[in-house]
Amino acid sequence: MSIIIISSDSTEKGEEIAHKTAQALDYACLGRELLPVVADQYGIPTDKLEWALEASPPSWGRSAGLQRRCLAYIQTTTLGELVKDNRVCHGLAAHLYVVGISHALRVRILADPAEQAREISKRGSVPLEKARRLMDRQRKLRQRWSLTHYQLNETDPSQYDLVISLSQINTDEAIKIIVQTAGYRRFAPMTYSLRCMEDAELACRVRAGLLETFPNVKVRAEGGTVIVETKGTRQNKLKKAAAIKEQVQNMEGVDYVEVHVKNGLFKKAP
Amino acid sequence: MSERLSVLLLDDEPIVGKRLGPALGKIGCDVEAFEDPKKALERIDQKNFDVVVTDIRMGEIDGMQVLDHVRTKSPRTRVILITGYAMMELAREAMEKGAFDFISKPFKANDLRQVIAKAARALGVSVDFENATIPSR
Repeated sequence: MSIIIISSDSTEKGEEIAHKTAQALDYACLGRELLPVVADQYGIPTDKLEWALEASPPSWGRSAGLQRRCLAYIQTTTLGELVKDNRVCHGLAAHLYVVGISHALRVRILADPAEQAREISKRGSVPLEKARRLMDRQRKLRQRWSLTHYQLNETDPSQYDLVISLSQINTDEAIKIIVQTAGYRRFAPMTYSLRCMEDAELACRVRAGLLETFPNVKVRAEGGTVIVETKGTRQNKLKKAAAIKEQVQNMEGVDYVEVHVKNGLFKKAP
Repeated sequence: MSERLSVLLLDDEPIVGKRLGPALGKIGCDVEAFEDPKKALERIDQKNFDVVVTDIRMGEIDGMQVLDHVRTKSPRTRVILITGYAMMELAREAMEKGAFDFISKPFKANDLRQVIAKAARALGVSVDFENATIPSR
């Protein structure tokens, strides 16, 4: 029993390997099919959620806030599924927010660049050289996107437990390696890691619930205790803390809420 | 008819043994509590316990060494590690070395009860956990 998170520089390869790995292990597979569920739950159109997962991060304004909210909603629903365990996840950026969970095996699949360039060239009817430039641009965008939203560079191999290059290892072999690695005892769930996962889900759900009204909140959870941090002016500190507390204390899984409002205003949301 | 589960509890903080010892006793465990890892290892050499619950960070001998010792001496024994300094790397290392479970402090007595129940099931020991509850800390 564990969680496998697959990230790839090729959407198609990541998806294919995730599905086949889930099949081999008899796990459920989570991917972009989850977005309509998120859309229903939070009243945001699916195309906006897709945009949030793909688009270059706007530096300011309403779009930046919307992208942040969309990602928080996706994250909440994804974590809500991952706490159920026995899941393979891809395409939902989980490799950037399921961090420090010992029973989550994080895998990076590197597509064969030559093959990828040929495919882009064929699909877009562009010369190979241009296809390579597009790939390079995409890689830089993903770096910026992941660093902006999660302060992690998703193209950095050190972020993963396992990195597989499809230039050297074929898809079927890659699946066998992932299945075998997931069976290692070090990736087995334990009371501590399951609790970390539950804490992450609760913190994220609380943050998602607050974001529309309080865009700049940081939330931590430990057991049923939730700690919310935000900033406010000296005049509205008490009012803001009371409003947050009232909203959070009735949420499912919350036993106790602590709100810390510090002086000042956030320049940038966490 | 339920059996008694033999449990060795090791933590250099006396309060842990004092609190958890009686609480585990109530759910059908015969508990021997130790604060000194050396004395605990001596006892482990004398007796094969069903379950060993040990803190990780202690003085000279740490919980990982206790885990290694138990795994060599009695592979059947289930070792549960507890720590106030839980981190992913440590948790993975513990599981790789054969820990049965890994719990971060603070935890509720009932959390440990559930893990002990799981260990009992894994050992095929029938313990009457249903009719006893541990009061929360």
